[in-house]
Amino acid sequence: MAGPYEICVLVKQVPDQGSKAGLNPDGTIDRARAKRMLNPFDRYALQAALHAKKSYGGKVTAISMGPPPAVEVLLEALEHGVDRGVLLSDRRLAASDTLATAYALYKTINYCGRFDMIFCGLQTTDGDTAQVGPQIAERLNLPQVTYCEDFSLEDGRVRARRIIEGGCQKVVSELPVLITVANSYHPLEYKSFRGAWKVQWLQRHPEDLQKVISTVDLDAVGADADRCGLKGSPTIVAHTDKVGELGGSCKMYEGHSPEELVAEVLKASSFKEFISAS
Amino acid sequence: MTDETKNAAGGAGEAGGGSVEPSTQTRQSQPPEGVKSAAVSEETLPVHEVKRGNVMVVAEHIMGDLQPVTLELLGAGRLLTEKLGTKLVCALLGYKVGDLPQKLIHYGADIVYVADHPELQVYRTLPYRRVLCDLLESLPEPPHVMLLGSSTTGRDLAPRIAANFETGLTADCTELDIGSYEHKSKLDPSKVGIYPDCLYAIRPSFGESLKARILGPWKNPQMATTRPGVMIPLKPELSRTGEIIVVPVNFKAEDFRLQVEEVIREVASAMKLTEADVIVAGGYGLGAAEGFDLLRQLAACFENSAIGASRKVVDLGWIPYEYQVGQTGKTVRPKLYIACGISGAIQHRVGMSKSGLIIAVNKDADAPIFKFAHHGIVGDINQVVPEMIKQFRKLKSEQGVQSVVHSH
Ligand SMILES: Cc1cc2nc3c(=O)[nH]c(=O)nc-3n(C[C@H](O)[C@H](O)[C@H](O)COP(=O)(O)OP(=O)(O)OC[C@H]3O[C@@H](n4cnc5c(N)ncnc54)[C@H](O)[C@@H]3O)c2cc1C
Ligand SMILES: Nc1ncnc2c1ncn2[C@@H]1O[C@H](COP(=O)(O)O)[C@@H](O)[C@H]1O
Repeated sequence: MAGPYEICVLVKQVPDQGSKAGLNPDGTIDRARAKRMLNPFDRYALQAALHAKKSYGGKVTAISMGPPPAVEVLLEALEHGVDRGVLLSDRRLAASDTLATAYALYKTINYCGRFDMIFCGLQTTDGDTAQVGPQIAERLNLPQVTYCEDFSLEDGRVRARRIIEGGCQKVVSELPVLITVANSYHPLEYKSFRGAWKVQWLQRHPEDLQKVISTVDLDAVGADADRCGLKGSPTIVAHTDKVGELGGSCKMYEGHSPEELVAEVLKASSFKEFISAS
Repeated sequence: MTDETKNAAGGAGEAGGGSVEPSTQTRQSQPPEGVKSAAVSEETLPVHEVKRGNVMVVAEHIMGDLQPVTLELLGAGRLLTEKLGTKLVCALLGYKVGDLPQKLIHYGADIVYVADHPELQVYRTLPYRRVLCDLLESLPEPPHVMLLGSSTTGRDLAPRIAANFETGLTADCTELDIGSYEHKSKLDPSKVGIYPDCLYAIRPSFGESLKARILGPWKNPQMATTRPGVMIPLKPELSRTGEIIVVPVNFKAEDFRLQVEEVIREVASAMKLTEADVIVAGGYGLGAAEGFDLLRQLAACFENSAIGASRKVVDLGWIPYEYQVGQTGKTVRPKLYIACGISGAIQHRVGMSKSGLIIAVNKDADAPIFKFAHHGIVGDINQVVPEMIKQFRKLKSEQGVQSVVHSH
């Protein structure tokens, strides 16, 4: 099997933690006010999907699950060159854990068609589990390459390098396969002029935009609502603790010249003990 | 232990190192809160009593070397089994595993299930998944708790097992405990009630300065992965005995859709971060990638030293990912950690707060790092760090020894 390939990439919109907007005084995030962005790890997945398309031919479908504003990340993916976007949006998805999320995304993937390669980010900055990719692969009964740093396609198979502790593995997999892309993969290239122009044009022509980016709900993709959201999630956040003020025992050195400051620290007993331990 | 940031996992591990005293598992092991509040609520909630099962640790090894995280998990698992009154079991998959099962027993396992087969020589998702799923199905009852390391292997395998059995999995925990839980949400009336002996899987939540306790009491195994370096292993006891059970291996053709062609282990040219005695770490306050040159000079003042970094500068490309310390990077425990221009966000802290001595340099006196460092210098790194280098070098030559710090 050679190209053209059917390629899928999963992208998520996450709160932008770099921005102070929407940050409550107690450190929690007000998601309604927070600035939103494309999950940074998914930029590598997007680059991998577009690389596969450019080098071997094919079509890229970007899929996202989230509230309506998540359509922004699909538009961004479109600017970078994906061919179409599908947003799964449904109130009944609220409070989904990774198992429920993976179930809903698996249903959406099947609804969108059959894919040779499915790319995911390594993890998200809000969920931060790295579980959704492998859990989708399990539902689809696919082999997976996690922590993928590089890949190429040969004779309808994917040859990839993945990170392991203290080194790497070189693997060859049959298609279809699910790949989670490490952030040591190539960074996402700039938006193409054509892509950006196309999105601008589409935003002025909503009826055409609808053909390229569709929004679907659980019924449309044939997902069982009881297996989604809070109800379909085997885990719950039962309790949160604010990470208390710690110690407060830090000995502070300030106000003097750097020379004096460093000399003071060096003089401080525990530090001296530490150095003289040699 | 100089710092105050004891959490249950660390606490658990520390206790495990010497006398085993589960109650040191601090905050999370408070009296069963379900029971307490049930007394005041008008309706009495049903108690979902389940048979307490074993705790299973999935062992991890690379080319015959047991990974430290496995031994750490056995240490943490032991405390959980003490609370549950059940056994600590371990699953070991590999080829020609030799004395590894015995070693796992020395580190605390009561039973080791061994699958020894040429196709299991190197880790591969599908064959490992097959053997583990078959093993779980063959047991008279599923383990209560199942633990894997949140290494590249554990994070690859655990979600597949969890999805297969449709059970809950919590990633990257920093603490584990057993406790009771009272579920009141009426969304699913059959779930309402008190659940004794749930796994408390505790992890820093999102980007927020919160720790979340995540539970999944409805189905066993209750699964979690923990970061390498967080839990503390037991001291190996050669006198400890246990049972070794060989498990059958039955693959399907589809398990071989992916082949491993080569495993490359990097020759560590640079000092390995997790093994360094001294870490000099840089953050966004360095201003530019070149800032690390200064830190390298500082690190060179010490023997057995390494460079570390915050995620922000890794994301900016100032330094490669393998230098990242924190929740999504490495967990380190050096004797000395010098943090330069690092704000001390919770995700960074969880990776380094157990360092022996933490010295922070930051120009903002209110930076969170000063909440848990031992010595805090308020100043500009561009001035303070060169001064440190100067004075350390001077000290070094005065001492007339080759190094200021080296291992005990
Ligand atoms: C899910 C998730 C996982 C994460 N995982 C990690 C992780 O593994 N590791 C990690 O580190 N972070 C992680 N983070 C990011 C973390 O929240 C912080 O954003 C990050 O640690 C901040 O990096 P920093 O301290 O270098 O930068 P900043 O927060 O920008 O701090 C820079 C500091 O430098 C000081 N400074 C500036 N100039 C100077 C100067 N000239 N001299 C002295 N001081 C100066 C400033 O006062 C400031 O305190 C994660 C975040 C999320 C959401
Ligand atoms: N809501 C979502 N929509 C689309 N993709 C997602 C979603 N959640 C997770 N993913 C994908 O799964 C990867 C891992 O996410 P996580 O398990 O949350 O760390 C992400 O990088 C995405 O590629």
